Amino acid sequence: MAEALANRLLAIRTERGLTQAALAELVGVSRKTINTVENGVFVPSTLLALKLARALARPVEDLFFLDG
Amino acid sequence: MTRSDIDTADRLTRKRARMLPFLALIFVTQQISYFVEADARVRMVDHVKVGAWLLLSVVLLLALATGGFWFKPRAVRALMDDEVTRANRAEAFRIGFLVTMIAGIGLYFLDQFAPMRGRETIHILVTVGIATALIVFGALERRALRDG
Repeated sequence: MAEALANRLLAIRTERGLTQAALAELVGVSRKTINTVENGVFVPSTLLALKLARALARPVEDLFFLDG
Repeated sequence: MTRSDIDTADRLTRKRARMLPFLALIFVTQQISYFVEADARVRMVDHVKVGAWLLLSVVLLLALATGGFWFKPRAVRALMDDEVTRANRAEAFRIGFLVTMIAGIGLYFLDQFAPMRGRETIHILVTVGIATALIVFGALERRALRDG
């Protein structure tokens, strides 16, 4: 099974006019964390995924989905 | 947690990622003199060298385990020790452990042909473990900081 977690974080963040640093500040994490999640380098914990969804006012399923 | 904390954490995280492999290099090259000048006689300078190695090993191990920058504000340190950093550190420790075990097996085999003192063996294993973890952690952090 070659399923991976994909995300629309970059698209939704830019749609809301937020920089990585601004989103990091809203969520309370480092800019590096936002960067690695956006690039798919890092799979966030459920807690972080929910925090990102809350900060962007979107359901978590809009941000993250299974790819493949 | 302010924007200033995030900017400071970002700057220090980049500094740490650049610094760690360089520290590993210094740490390893320092050991060369220890083995090149190996001699049966124990001089005062040898005690100083071993003491310096021990101190540096403990400092590097603590820096790896805690993220370092101990005198920075708590909020900045928390940002520098977020989920990604903890995952990178765990991976660095995992690879460091594996490489140390492989080195241990290799030294055990070599001991048949060139017997080594226990202290030398421990010295090599600790150096290999710490240096490997430092290099891997630094490399993973640099990758995490790369944009795009």
